[in-house]
Amino acid sequence: MNEPSVQNAHSFLEIRMESIGGLGANLAAKILSESGVLRQGWNGWYAASYGSEKKGTPVKAFIRFAPPEVEIRGTYPVDEPDVVAVFHEALLRSPSTLSGLRPGGTLVVNTKRSPDEVRRQVKRADIHIACVDALGIAHREGARLNTAMLGALCHVVPQLDPNAVRSGIEEVFSERYAHLLDANLRTFEGGLAQVREAQGTGGDASGLDKAPQSRVSPVLGYKTQWIGGAIPSAGNSVARDLSASRQGFIPALDLDACIHCAACDQVCPDACFVWESRDNGRGRVFQYLVGIDYQYCKGCQKCVVACPTHALSTIAESDAYVLEHRVAHRLHEREVNIR
Amino acid sequence: MSMRLLDHPSTQPPAEGKPLELEEMRSGNEMAAKAAAQINYHVMGYFPITPSTEVAEYLDEMRVRGEHDIVMIPADGEHGAAGICYGASTGGGRVFNATSAQGFLYMLENLPVQSGTRFPMVLNLVTRSVSGPLNIHGDHSDLYYGLNIGWPILLARDPQAVYDMNLIALRVAEHRDVRLPVIVAYDGFFTSHAKRRVKFFRDRQTVQNFVGPVPEPPVTTLDPRHPVTVGPYMNEPDFINNKYQQSLAMYRAGEVFQEVAEEYAALTGRFYGPLDLYRMEDAEVALFILNSAAETARAAVDELRASGVRAGIVSPNLIRPFPLRAVQEALAHVRVVLVAERADSYGGHGPNLTHEVKAALQEIHAPVHVLSRVFGLGGREFYPQDAMNLFGECLGWLQGADVPSFDYYGVEPGDEDAVPFAPGLPPLTREQTTGFISVDRDESTGRLRVKAPNLRALTAKPRRLAPGHGACPGCGIFPGVETFLKGIEGDVVVLYQTGCAMVTTTGYPYTSHRVTYLHNLFQNGAATLSGLVEMFWEKKRRGEIPVGDDITFIMVTGDGGMDIGMGPALGAALRNHRMIILEYDNEGYMNTGAQLSYSTPLGHRTSTSGVGEKGQGKSFPHKDTPQIMAAANIPYVFTGSEAFPQDLIQKAAKAQWYAKHEGLVYGKILIACPLNWQSPDDQGNVIVGAAVRCCFFPLYEVEHGKTTITYDPEAKGERIPVSDWLKRMGKTRHMLRPENRALLEQFEAEVERRWRRLRAKHEHPDL
Repeated sequence: MNEPSVQNAHSFLEIRMESIGGLGANLAAKILSESGVLRQGWNGWYAASYGSEKKGTPVKAFIRFAPPEVEIRGTYPVDEPDVVAVFHEALLRSPSTLSGLRPGGTLVVNTKRSPDEVRRQVKRADIHIACVDALGIAHREGARLNTAMLGALCHVVPQLDPNAVRSGIEEVFSERYAHLLDANLRTFEGGLAQVREAQGTGGDASGLDKAPQSRVSPVLGYKTQWIGGAIPSAGNSVARDLSASRQGFIPALDLDACIHCAACDQVCPDACFVWESRDNGRGRVFQYLVGIDYQYCKGCQKCVVACPTHALSTIAESDAYVLEHRVAHRLHEREVNIR
Repeated sequence: MSMRLLDHPSTQPPAEGKPLELEEMRSGNEMAAKAAAQINYHVMGYFPITPSTEVAEYLDEMRVRGEHDIVMIPADGEHGAAGICYGASTGGGRVFNATSAQGFLYMLENLPVQSGTRFPMVLNLVTRSVSGPLNIHGDHSDLYYGLNIGWPILLARDPQAVYDMNLIALRVAEHRDVRLPVIVAYDGFFTSHAKRRVKFFRDRQTVQNFVGPVPEPPVTTLDPRHPVTVGPYMNEPDFINNKYQQSLAMYRAGEVFQEVAEEYAALTGRFYGPLDLYRMEDAEVALFILNSAAETARAAVDELRASGVRAGIVSPNLIRPFPLRAVQEALAHVRVVLVAERADSYGGHGPNLTHEVKAALQEIHAPVHVLSRVFGLGGREFYPQDAMNLFGECLGWLQGADVPSFDYYGVEPGDEDAVPFAPGLPPLTREQTTGFISVDRDESTGRLRVKAPNLRALTAKPRRLAPGHGACPGCGIFPGVETFLKGIEGDVVVLYQTGCAMVTTTGYPYTSHRVTYLHNLFQNGAATLSGLVEMFWEKKRRGEIPVGDDITFIMVTGDGGMDIGMGPALGAALRNHRMIILEYDNEGYMNTGAQLSYSTPLGHRTSTSGVGEKGQGKSFPHKDTPQIMAAANIPYVFTGSEAFPQDLIQKAAKAQWYAKHEGLVYGKILIACPLNWQSPDDQGNVIVGAAVRCCFFPLYEVEHGKTTITYDPEAKGERIPVSDWLKRMGKTRHMLRPENRALLEQFEAEVERRWRRLRAKHEHPDL
């Protein structure tokens, strides 16, 4: 008997989807894995990362394909993918997103940027990079971007048969959301047709991170965790960056039109509005809105609806705007200066 | 690879004389539901808990499509679910359930009753770690609590086995020599949610033929011509004989399992022995390991075999009864076996199965060295490399290394030089949170008067929650809770029951709470907080807490927590502890994926009250929790909404006054869940406002028994039709279709009836 000696020798295609809850990576992975197994006749396995499963938090989906006669054993994440599909380009900022991507592997990114720009960011000369404006296509067609990502995947991964995936989309949508079927098929075709690619040079893989991502050691261990799991660092979630939860839109604040009524502040789920106490010029101290801390804004736009004066409006997000207009909370100083 | 496209769903031509099977890509939970639907159980009494919840969801989807006739009863908690299942099983029909972790522990008390009184059913245990701290991922710590309850336990390593074992389990349970409830256990997430290629019978009749008609029960509670007393009061000397009968039945279940498994193999070609053995023929080192990890470990065995190491795996298909002879036969000739377990028996020098394997080998005096490792707790991933490392321990022992008999595998000390937690915020001072609001009592009327500034001025009052929590965009919990807290002055200690607000604010090692926060379980927060409240006052009385110190104690719970926790909440209310219960009601179990709660209104779609040919959303009206709590005669009850902030802040101030001076306060705020209400993220405030204006969710307070409507949309000429609220949510759009006119009218009538009654209470001081 000729036994394979490497753990994944029997699978021939491993895909990892990196996404944000709500973008539909889970459904995309379901369609893709079913297409491979039920329509292309392979064996397959599919799973998604599960946490508290909130919309807007990072999620991963994993697909493993093998020849039909090969048993797929066990159930563990895809740590050395042939293909990584990134549904939200903000995720490229996290080094774990490309972790383990095999030398010469393929990266598919939902972005308006060019493959060369993405390559400069991810510092991987060896990989094939495919860019698709999945969000733009999906907006035009009135669908979610996941089917555009499926189209792009079919374009760049030679083993994937677009007809099989197309049938998969038809089946899933005609079962439960028939009114969305046409828009999703058009979105799929858009993704299939509108891919911008750049081959890797086969050379430098300097950005290659060999460590399997789920095996990143926690900072705290049995010698350093507080007894019973207590967290002694009150309010330390301020260190987290929630900006990747947004789906392309942010509220913009025009202070000239603001009457400082705090309606926005009251409805905001994420405490994004930054206030300061100021003398009104006549010896009385009032609260004044000074800006939005975009680090925590998830882009829900409740504030825009609540604003009585149109001081708040919804705009398409750009990194440059956020960088220029973010007003950071000064929670530490505020405690000292508030009185 | 070939680009051959297959028909779908793919059908395998049946082998000679075999029934037709379909092939699909399915998860373990889907297959458990599939089997249950094909068996067509009579009754399922269930309660949502991750990761088993999907089983009920899939069954509900099939129910509304008319694919089975199972009566699905949403219980008030797992204790209730177990009661429903037990009661139903005494009636002689077929009963099914699925649960996990805390849910299993919460029903645990009922499970030995069922086995001891000998009523069969099938329970799928989708294994998950037991709290605390709370963890939703897969290990076997819940399963191990089931080892002593007298239920046969079958294991299913993958989605295929989940289906197969569910069919086999019912046959074992109903066998005349067994008559015991049976557990089918499979790994949470690893098996429950991951999808694999599976086969199942195309025709329900095939399944019906295999399980057969329901056998005539020896005892049934539904035959008045044959009255029977079930569950007598039995002391010694009789009790031990009942238990001996049960013990015999359990061992008989092991034999029956083999018989049924052989019959099943003849039908499908898929055979399940008591043990699943992988390359054990001549093995020298072996791993004894359960369920999905055993599959993963096979890659390591293949690699070791390729390098000349005779390795193998023993993985049981049932652990109750423990397959003693099979384990002895499989392991008698190995030199070292490592028992790897996803649970511990703390202080036992090895978890439970370690000792059962050791005992089995000791009985035959086999010279086998047994190592024991706890691994993979709380869903820690298990890779083939981990299996290699465990085999490495065996090989190390063979080579004479100093290998401990029992240890944990995969733990890490942590970096003692690293900054352990992200820096937090300085503690709030009493001065920072005081001086905004005043409450005093008008001695002539006895009414409280609240002075609160506007929202703008209140932005100077620091929030008790820091930004950076992980709730969905547009989540209504935080505006609701924070608006309430604007009205609370000074120091607070909060307790959150399990739910969205809890998991999104405390994902280790982060917390969004700037004040002291406590979590215990889903259902007993009110009891827990009442204990803390009394500790505070007793320490104060003993002079152990400075006189000037004052703390307001606030429990925050979802509507789900008020279902499963209704008993503890009423208990705390009747005892009248000085604390506040604040319920955020988003009309469903949103944290586990939008199952119906008792607060879900009539007709609303959830993942367990689907819309289809055989269902139009929830079939019974919403629970009126404020009225239930008011009936406990506590000093203050209120309702509120982020859409009416000044109203809510006033009520918060009153709540604090009553909680300080008199006793327990209960308040309910309606909050939006854009994800599961299927509404735009930016519309939450508008939608809850519409719920108030259509009189579905009236704003009122009950102060010393006197009801006051604090915002009357009718009197203000601002009342809107119920449909103007319903049209804003995807979950209710079907209610506006012409064919659902009767449903809509029924709902409108219920809203109107409750509103009129509230008006009457408002107008009459004695009501």
